[in-house]
Amino acid sequence: MDEFLKILEDQVQIVALSIMAIVYISKVIWIMRFKPFVEKTPAKGSHRAGIAYSFATIAMPWSMESSSKKPYKYIEFALFHLGVLTAILISFIIPYWPQVMESTAVVFLTRTIIGLALIAGLIRIVRRIAFASMRVISSPDDYFSLFLLEVWLFFAFWAAANNNYWMLVGFFALTAFFLIYVPFSKISHYLLWPFARYYLGKHLGHRGVYPKISERSVRQVTNAINQGV
Amino acid sequence: MASRSESIKSDKAIKAIELFRKRMNRQAIISMGVCVHCGNCTETCHYYQATKDPKMSPSYKADKVRKIYKKHFDWLGRVLPGWVGAKDISTDADLEELKDICFGSCTMCRRCTFNCPMGVDKALIIRTARGILTELKVAPQGILDVNKDQWEVGNQMGVSDEEYLETIDWLSEELQNELGDPDAKMPMDIPDCNIVYAINPREVKYAPMSLLASAKIFYAVDESWTLPAKGWDNTNFGLFSGDNALGGHMGKLVFENVQRLNGKMLVTSECGHGYRSTKWESPNWSGIIMKQPILNFLEVVCDYVNSGRLKLDKSRNKEPVTYHDPCNYARSGGITEEPRFLLRQSVMEFREMYPNRADNWCCSGGGGAMSMSEYSKRRLEAARIKAEQLKATGAKIVATACHNCVDALTDLIRHYKLNMKVSLVGEMVANAVVIEKKPRVAVPVVRGDAFLKGYTILVVDDEPDMVTFLSAVFEDNGGTVIKASNGDEALTALRRQKPHLMTLDLSMPGKSGVEVFEEIRRDQKLTRLPIFVISGQPELRKLIYDNSFAPPEGYADKPIDEERLLLTVRKILNIPHRS
Repeated sequence: MDEFLKILEDQVQIVALSIMAIVYISKVIWIMRFKPFVEKTPAKGSHRAGIAYSFATIAMPWSMESSSKKPYKYIEFALFHLGVLTAILISFIIPYWPQVMESTAVVFLTRTIIGLALIAGLIRIVRRIAFASMRVISSPDDYFSLFLLEVWLFFAFWAAANNNYWMLVGFFALTAFFLIYVPFSKISHYLLWPFARYYLGKHLGHRGVYPKISERSVRQVTNAINQGV
Repeated sequence: MASRSESIKSDKAIKAIELFRKRMNRQAIISMGVCVHCGNCTETCHYYQATKDPKMSPSYKADKVRKIYKKHFDWLGRVLPGWVGAKDISTDADLEELKDICFGSCTMCRRCTFNCPMGVDKALIIRTARGILTELKVAPQGILDVNKDQWEVGNQMGVSDEEYLETIDWLSEELQNELGDPDAKMPMDIPDCNIVYAINPREVKYAPMSLLASAKIFYAVDESWTLPAKGWDNTNFGLFSGDNALGGHMGKLVFENVQRLNGKMLVTSECGHGYRSTKWESPNWSGIIMKQPILNFLEVVCDYVNSGRLKLDKSRNKEPVTYHDPCNYARSGGITEEPRFLLRQSVMEFREMYPNRADNWCCSGGGGAMSMSEYSKRRLEAARIKAEQLKATGAKIVATACHNCVDALTDLIRHYKLNMKVSLVGEMVANAVVIEKKPRVAVPVVRGDAFLKGYTILVVDDEPDMVTFLSAVFEDNGGTVIKASNGDEALTALRRQKPHLMTLDLSMPGKSGVEVFEEIRRDQKLTRLPIFVISGQPELRKLIYDNSFAPPEGYADKPIDEERLLLTVRKILNIPHRS
């Protein structure tokens, strides 16, 4: 293997990953320096149930109108994020466990997932450009992040077979760039997401609002009220 | 040393940034930073749904606040502001724009929050900005006026102690007459009761029916309860204005009086934001955690029904009823099933509204919107979504558990010409109550007792049918009626004949009712004339909430029924049934 690619796949990634880790740790420390609002009232519901429900909403498209009314958006979300995760995964597999990618079945599966993610990403780009309601909320970072992820997924698709030099160079060069850029961009939302869902879940769980009551659970609650619980 | 951009900032803009920094806590920082602009919230907002204006997207509105965060807190935003949409607040015009967005195009209903995959609390973002704007006095006049009344008088409608006590006294007599029992009372400031009942000032000022309904239910179960003489307002404009200090002040007033009276529990009447504030927010704002539980009236009534203390006869409410979930109960308070349970026990036919509970659409009057008359047109436009939801139920009555919702639903029902009435859940329950106990001494129920004998009433309306209806009711009850069909005629008649009361329509050709109202209030000789506004116009809210003039003594939305009309007239003129 070319020495340049080897360094790019290994040492460069480690350096970039270290920078990312430092920035993320600093960011978490920075967030923790802000005092949280602490609820003092007696709870009506359960914090734990609220937090669990809040996190589980990601896997419950029916729990939100935004996804229950437009299931294709949820499918698109799932495919896109699954593709990104797969691409992240192969960025570790290719340099450290290259034998895994020798299996044609694995390569086929990887390419299928990433290919679907590419289509989902394309739909996202079109939507962001075509709809006025999306354009008004989009910053250059939103366009850039999405566009660059598409390019990255494109390289990942071709790099999956671990036999195309230039695609591998493109993939790992972009991965290194992402590792440094992401902590500063909107793509770092996954770092804040657990905090946001935790605090919202805790807050609404405390008040007995989460887990959200659905038509299906009404009977149980009505019975509880009838029994004076 | 100040940078160039800081040196050209307005004083208010500089102060706004300072306040912004102070108000950032961990939850706010996270909500500001986590949005990915996915646009999933867009269609969950009633303002967007009704107008399809992209700038009504919750994400766009929150971004107007978030851009300040990005400029001053976000790491990339401080270096490359344009890249992430960071922008500073520099001028008073920027603050005015923020005011329009935060007060005029968001009811903080939290529907978008519940539909955000990231868990961004956009209502928290908007409320943060509202708090800053309120502190800078860049807020709608109605909000500032009500804030001032709550700070200075201790209740949102500026009701004096004297007026409060007189009204409760008068209501006691109404209750005695309705129940035929001289022992039926609105207990005032009684120590050691089970329940200290905190109410909405609207119940004292304009909607005594709901307080009578509560009192009737308490009477039916022989509850030991009391109204406090002080600290009786459960509402809290601190929630709407973002002023946490006011929020704490109002909570403290209520809590201290519960403790003074040694009540066993604090119960708030049917008021969405009042319940949320009192139970969930005020203890945090004030730092007072009472040992007594805080409950909503509906929770208590549920207990009465479950324990068999309260018997209901649903055949008394024959028309189909649907229920509107107030946002502050369903999305911020954890009350969704109690009102449904009570309605199912109290009415012949209950029809569910879809979507419902935490997914329900806002009535359009939340977040203090009813007190911001400058946004009435936008509010009513956004209310189209709720109107469609109501219409789809086919119900004749929409019950709800919040006075703000009652007002907003009444406005939208008239605006969209729906054939529906609005009622509080408690009123529906009270109508179905079966009272089994016999009064110690029966009080004869007085009907048609010519109670208006000796009173002259000026009826001002350009609709002949309305004039005929009002005149007939007043004359049937012994009153003398003077009629006027426009503003000029009304003022002339007023100066010549000096009536005891004037009913006033707001929408009339020539001089409008609002102009007549203001002219009377400005005139030293006429200013004390009691005015009962009977109108279908949203301008009415301005007269109630803006403090430029003393508010009307009574108001009712058209169409008005005879019972409500006479009750309000008796209240204004302080005439009990047994006069």
